[in-house]
Amino acid sequence: MTPADLHLQVDVAHWGWSIAWFLWFVGIAGMGSVAYYFVRRSALIITIFASLTIGLLLVVSHLGRWWNLPRTLYLMVLDFDFNLGSWMLLGIATLSVHLVLTLLLLIGHLPALTRRIAWLKWTETLRAQAGYRGLFAGVGAFATVYSGFLLTQAAGIPLWNTSLIPILWVVSGSIAAIAVIELLYVLGLVDANVSAAGVRIGMVLDGVKLLAVLGFLHVALSYGSAGARYGAILMTQGDLALMLWGGVIGIGILVPLAIGAYTLLREKRKSLLAVSAVCALSGVFFLRAAVLLAGTFEPLVL
Amino acid sequence: MARPNEAKNGTPSRRLAHLWDESRCIACGACVLACTMTNQPEMMAREEKGWGGLASNIRRIESANEQGRPTLLLVQCQHCDDAPCVRTCPFGAVYQDDDGLIRLDARRCAGCSYCVTSCPYNVRWFHPDTHVPAKCMGDGCLDLIAHDQQPACVQACPAMARDFGDLNDPESSVSETLRTQRSRRLLESAGTEPKYFIVEGS
Repeated sequence: MTPADLHLQVDVAHWGWSIAWFLWFVGIAGMGSVAYYFVRRSALIITIFASLTIGLLLVVSHLGRWWNLPRTLYLMVLDFDFNLGSWMLLGIATLSVHLVLTLLLLIGHLPALTRRIAWLKWTETLRAQAGYRGLFAGVGAFATVYSGFLLTQAAGIPLWNTSLIPILWVVSGSIAAIAVIELLYVLGLVDANVSAAGVRIGMVLDGVKLLAVLGFLHVALSYGSAGARYGAILMTQGDLALMLWGGVIGIGILVPLAIGAYTLLREKRKSLLAVSAVCALSGVFFLRAAVLLAGTFEPLVL
Repeated sequence: MARPNEAKNGTPSRRLAHLWDESRCIACGACVLACTMTNQPEMMAREEKGWGGLASNIRRIESANEQGRPTLLLVQCQHCDDAPCVRTCPFGAVYQDDDGLIRLDARRCAGCSYCVTSCPYNVRWFHPDTHVPAKCMGDGCLDLIAHDQQPACVQACPAMARDFGDLNDPESSVSETLRTQRSRRLLESAGTEPKYFIVEGS
């Protein structure tokens, strides 16, 4: 039976596609920063910087009163009044720090720039510093975790009120980072040995992601409130079923798993790796979009 | 820069609460209309697309009971003592004022909608012109209570099904009704300590 008082958050709060893309880009940039600790390639830091910038532009463009953002920040600083209990504020701070750390690394990867502007030369040493890379990885991982808790803290949407979401975001963000490295390998920007490790780790993470997605749905369907259950039904049998079964699980998990198995057992083909990486990245996006769009307010009347 | 009527030291001196007597309500919709006319008159001929129907700070939920008889629930901001929207607002735009009401300082609002997704009661809606997440109390009603008058919905109700007053005052009509009649609050399990009471009759 469909409750009488049923409203999707996307119709009321308008957290739609732009937020789904934002979560996707933050996942790539966040867990990409963890990958950068091990894979210090220019192409990777450029990807992280681009993802973070596009993600931030998307989220700012989504603000209903984006033109008022400077004043809100000014008043916050003027009164020294920070709502540290808000995950969104923690996220804004984290993403700002992440962007600065990324920019410094990016500058260090651009010799043409550091040759022209001598005082920027010190940035070239940053990538060699394990401490800086560790900080960068930590901030990136926290940014990914934040993007999960951003949903978890939204008390009006019971489907999201589970700590499985930050876990799902970290696992799928890691898959996205590995997929980016695979694509860079296909393009000749990363060594073959890095790619080989990525295939194995990616397959393990695909398995974990599959379990986590099914666990998330099981908890919502079996033990969730009416709003959580309805959201999960939307994902498993309703308007979002194609996105879940086809996009998240079929394209996003099973295809990369099959290609990974073929690569390990038979041969490594760049064309297949490219398909696997694109599928994995698509699956990560579909997961965020499906969870976001399935968000439903708790019905007050059944 | 202080927020309007901000509570001193975070503790409000009054705890103003809404009361809706479902046993008296005749479902005429006068409160809904009065709310829009007083707080957002420019929305009188426009639809709130998220919920459907007239854009108002009062949400009207029509349903049917197990016997198939029509039922009505009127919902609005519960002015929770432990409001999730206050916790989640990244810029501190949402706050509890000295009267215990949950208010929004539009100067600090960037329109992120976090307060909308944070509300378990789904009582905020996006004003299409100002992009401020609107809810009870609107500016019109705040002005009324600042002049010791009742909010528009209470004044408009022909069946005396609505009341508004201070829970801290044992002599207030709201406190009196809650002492003498059976009442309930919505989604108690959410732990938000709502101050919107539904009177079920004596």
